[in-house]
Amino acid sequence: MTGCSIRELMVVALARELRDGDLCMTGTNSEVPVAACLLAQQLQAPNLTLILPSGIVNPRPGRLYRSAADGRWLAGAEAVGSGYDLFELSENGRLDAMFYGGVQIDRHGNINLTQVREPAFRGPGLANISFAVVAKRIYLYAMSHTRRTFVDRVDYLTAPGHLDGGSSRRDLGINTEGPVFCITPLAVLGFTPDTKEMMVRSVHPGIGAQQVVDSTGFSLPEPPPWAMTEAPTRGELRALREGVDTTGVLRADT
Amino acid sequence: MAGRRSKLVPLQEALAAVSDGCTLAVGGLWFHNKPMAALRELIRRGVRHLTLIAAPPSSLDSDLLIGAGLVKDAYLAHVSFEHLGLAPNFRHAVEHGLVELHECDEATLLGGLMATLEGLPYHPISSLRGTDHLRTSPLAMPYIARDGSAMVAAPALKPDVAILHAQEADEYGNVRCFGAPFVDPIFAKTASHVIVTVDKLVSNGEVRQAPSRTTIPGYLVDAVVEAPFGAHPCSSHGLHPHDEAHLRGYLAASNAALRGIEPGAFQAYLQRYVFACHSHDEYLEAIGGPLDLVAVP
Repeated sequence: MTGCSIRELMVVALARELRDGDLCMTGTNSEVPVAACLLAQQLQAPNLTLILPSGIVNPRPGRLYRSAADGRWLAGAEAVGSGYDLFELSENGRLDAMFYGGVQIDRHGNINLTQVREPAFRGPGLANISFAVVAKRIYLYAMSHTRRTFVDRVDYLTAPGHLDGGSSRRDLGINTEGPVFCITPLAVLGFTPDTKEMMVRSVHPGIGAQQVVDSTGFSLPEPPPWAMTEAPTRGELRALREGVDTTGVLRADT
Repeated sequence: MAGRRSKLVPLQEALAAVSDGCTLAVGGLWFHNKPMAALRELIRRGVRHLTLIAAPPSSLDSDLLIGAGLVKDAYLAHVSFEHLGLAPNFRHAVEHGLVELHECDEATLLGGLMATLEGLPYHPISSLRGTDHLRTSPLAMPYIARDGSAMVAAPALKPDVAILHAQEADEYGNVRCFGAPFVDPIFAKTASHVIVTVDKLVSNGEVRQAPSRTTIPGYLVDAVVEAPFGAHPCSSHGLHPHDEAHLRGYLAASNAALRGIEPGAFQAYLQRYVFACHSHDEYLEAIGGPLDLVAVP
């Protein structure tokens, strides 16, 4: 792949999934989902609303900041909510889309940010679990795609994805869709309609199918060959670089 | 006729309200709007056995207090340095059982606080399902609603003292947050004693000219402390960004100490930025003077 960074490609692939009118909330380490929401607003979703974890609504600072709670997101924002607004959003089902990363993400899209058994590891924890229950859709993202991240079953289930797969989410009284999408540096993944297992939708340009298989800690339901992720178009990249990431945060070394 | 009482006090005096074993709530979020000058003073005073409550995403505040040995147990939903990395002292202390961590998340933590501010013994929460927190979190108490539906209830959480940082206040405790107030107004309503450090003291007349800019009214506040750059190395929304180089240095020192690469590195950090500074003014000298901060990109 030429001409764009892997994080730019992840942002564009995620932005394409977001829908006009969506009320979106982002969490920690969220430069990819935040950039995707801001990009989607410039493309197919001008009525998308983005709420940052600090409560800042629809920021437009003309560049990206790496900390989700940076005060400079205030520039050009439309409103600032408080902790009470977050509690309200946790309970009332108003959110359309929530974005989660994970220390571990499993075959059914369950998320672990709390603890890993072997080797014993205390994770950072997850500020808001409720959004995984009440938001209509969950978009997963992982900044590394390895067998340590993508496991058969999470050691600790911090936030529910599709639980044991199939109808198990609904059986527990959770009426939202759960995870519908996962973006990694290697591939775009989705979920099988019936069993709710994570499956490869497309592999990024320059990545081999075998690399995805070798980097995933569970068997993927649909075998290769897989489609190739459509590279960002000229227009998408221009909107991203000129309207969202004007300082090249997504192109810089991390 | 008696005059109106000023709540403006020096830092040391304000923090006399924090005693060994008390439940302390710290405002702000991640490394933003954190009352760091006050927390450094608590470490200098050697307060021990605290029960710590922080706003759901926490960072340097919790990590520093835990690393310095002030914390017995804690209600912390998430502790990290975001893109800069994990919280080393928090992680080490929990992995080694040095601090008792009560698992919680935003809804249960806020639910527990809301029970207190509503004068209720607990607050029901309908949104927690399918998570292992249901078996590990003391704030996710099983609860059956009158219609028979199973949910959880968070028992009331009552901080003895809350310490917050904001950009401006007057001497009567009318506080103006320039950025995200986040959980600070809820802490102010639930804690028995509320201390606010501010970058700038403004006159009561200024507050009265724009009353809708007051984010925490004075009747909720017990003590106001003037501490310019009192959030450093965290940001103060609307005034200055976080000091990323300082935070990276803190993380490097903490990790070097915990991994045994440089066992004295964290103590050296504490010595340089906490114990060797007898006041917040001396801290500002230690970081090279406040003027440099404004230039942080």
